[in-house]
Amino acid sequence: MVTIELYGVARLRAGREVIEVDARSLGDALVALGAACPALERVIVAGGRLAPGWLVALNGAQITADLATPLGEGDVVVLVSADAGG
Amino acid sequence: MGRGGYFERYLRVDLGRPSAEHVPLDETTRRAVVGGVGLGALLLTRETPPGFDPLGPEAALVLAFGPLVGTPLTTSAKLAFVAKSPLTGRISDGLSSSSFAIAGKRAGLDAIVLVGEAAEPSIVLVDEEGAEVVPCPELWGRDFTISEASERLGKAYPEHRFAVIGVAGERLVRYAGIANEGRHAGRGGLGAVLGAKRVKAIGVRGSRPVPLADAEATLGIAKDLARRSLGPATEKYRALGTVANLSTFNRLAALPTRNFQASTFEEARKIEGEALHETRAQGRGSCKSCTIGCEHFFEVRPGQRPVKMEYENLFALGPLCGIGDPEVVLRASSACDELGIDTISAGGTIAFAMECAERGLFPAGPLAEEARDLRFGAGERMLVLLEDIARRRTPLGRLLAEGSRRAAEIVGGEAPSFAPHVKGMEIPGYEPRALQTMALGFAVGTRGADHNRSGAYEADFSGKVNRFEASEESAAHAVAAEDRAAVMDALILCKFLRRAMEDFFGESAEMLRAVTGLPFEAEELVRVGGRITLVRRLFNEREGWTPAEDTLPARFFEEKLPGGAAKGAGIDREGFARSIKAYHARRGLDERGFVPAEVARDMASLIRGKNR
Ligand code: SF4
Repeated sequence: MVTIELYGVARLRAGREVIEVDARSLGDALVALGAACPALERVIVAGGRLAPGWLVALNGAQITADLATPLGEGDVVVLVSADAGG
Repeated sequence: MGRGGYFERYLRVDLGRPSAEHVPLDETTRRAVVGGVGLGALLLTRETPPGFDPLGPEAALVLAFGPLVGTPLTTSAKLAFVAKSPLTGRISDGLSSSSFAIAGKRAGLDAIVLVGEAAEPSIVLVDEEGAEVVPCPELWGRDFTISEASERLGKAYPEHRFAVIGVAGERLVRYAGIANEGRHAGRGGLGAVLGAKRVKAIGVRGSRPVPLADAEATLGIAKDLARRSLGPATEKYRALGTVANLSTFNRLAALPTRNFQASTFEEARKIEGEALHETRAQGRGSCKSCTIGCEHFFEVRPGQRPVKMEYENLFALGPLCGIGDPEVVLRASSACDELGIDTISAGGTIAFAMECAERGLFPAGPLAEEARDLRFGAGERMLVLLEDIARRRTPLGRLLAEGSRRAAEIVGGEAPSFAPHVKGMEIPGYEPRALQTMALGFAVGTRGADHNRSGAYEADFSGKVNRFEASEESAAHAVAAEDRAAVMDALILCKFLRRAMEDFFGESAEMLRAVTGLPFEAEELVRVGGRITLVRRLFNEREGWTPAEDTLPARFFEEKLPGGAAKGAGIDREGFARSIKAYHARRGLDERGFVPAEVARDMASLIRGKNR
């Protein structure tokens, strides 16, 4: 399982802090996220992609929007707003 | 009178004489720097002699408006306060919003320049005719809060809008700010510059409409921009405000904690924006003429006046000082606002003192005695210390009123290696080791460590660079971030609007054409951004800048981050030096970072101006 952590607007919209999904890539994880949280669709994830201004930090470290990023058991996808800084 | 956006003059007020004169502002100047921080930097340079004391009579304080203030464009009700900082000895500019900016512009002015020193504590009243310096013994030295002083001024002069200093400005605290209608030009000690001039407040009154070259086009752009300002790009600001940063930064291990000894805070959950909203939200506000409304108010205690909170206040008075009690942080933020001190510098300087106290570095005697119970997490102690600093009323308060750099020099030993500043300006809430393109932006910043004049953190959050390494690529991002910020702050528009604009320079040029009638183009505005940075650098060079200042405190090179997602991250000294060199090359500076002589020669007539 992969854990997706939500902060800020994403957390407010989804009404939850974490979601567990079965995913082998970032693209898979985002499809599962959109399905689990329709409130995020269009604004934060859009058809399995990240909406403009959104990225992820894989395990909280490097930041990417590359949908092909492979994910494995225990990985954590931290959803980050690109204007995280102000 | 030209076509629009400008009144083509500024008001120079000599407080010593006292006298006021209107000075023409030529089109070359307006085209070259647009307004706001660019105009402020130019006028500051023109109106002061080299090597002046920022707290002396030769110092100038410039209030510079942009061409857009007073137009229907959203978030345009802003002005820039510009002076030589008593904290850094380098240029400092602070932006502030509200009807003060609109009234000042509508006095028929593109800027106001205060020079000299009033003979006695006074207020300055500006209108379309000129200015008057009015003694105010009833306001000075009375220990009024900013709210109390503003209320008294509002009652006495109901037609004026006021910018006011607090007790900290009167006592020349080196990071005292200037407040107007709940907003603050906080950074760099501009309030002390005003205090040294014995000016408690500046009142402005004006009713001249700002001319629009093409009113219809301006209205069309304003409507479109207002619509876009309510889209997803600004949802964060409307829903949560900047306090939303805290939880994300903590997760990314980019949250400065305990004077930058760590970058995650174990009590973050108690003070994160999401929690504050759930338990304490008390409504939202906005600056004048703003459709976004990013101001969020929170309850301190039932029945008490709610307090406005932003990320920078929250991080500086919370995790940076090891404090996780939301009530204490809210009270501290409110105290800073009412005393008139910059929250980032206050938090940074107190966090530095907490570390000195824990390490036993204060020299035996009154300082060590007073710092006995100063520890990270000591919230009530911090609240008392804020008052001591603002009033300079105890030995430790007086020491810390000087800022962390000077305090570290006095404490001595290893203290300077962990005083959290660049050029004397305390570092805002972005851990440099976890966001290394931002670290570069901090190091080269003309006003010191600064997230508002360099939004280089955007590169760190973009996935385009490795956030744990400052590279030559970082240099390109740092230059671009500075240029864009300089133009936003010259126009002046709120930075929170930036993501609602797809083509920032193109759209800005279009706005300027509609408002001013001048044929601004996008490429020209990119050059304006670079030029403003060079004007600031030339001012700093004139005032003694050396390349050694463009760096970070030793801690960031010598200590690695201890935990969280950035565990083990540190800044490589050689790599960082290479990225600084790359920045110099991109910025068109010489190897050491000076403005090349031929560039300075080309800019000489612009810098000198025609009016002196
Ligand atoms: S977005 Fe916030 S800071 Fe910007 S103008 Fe609006 S209320 Fe003021």
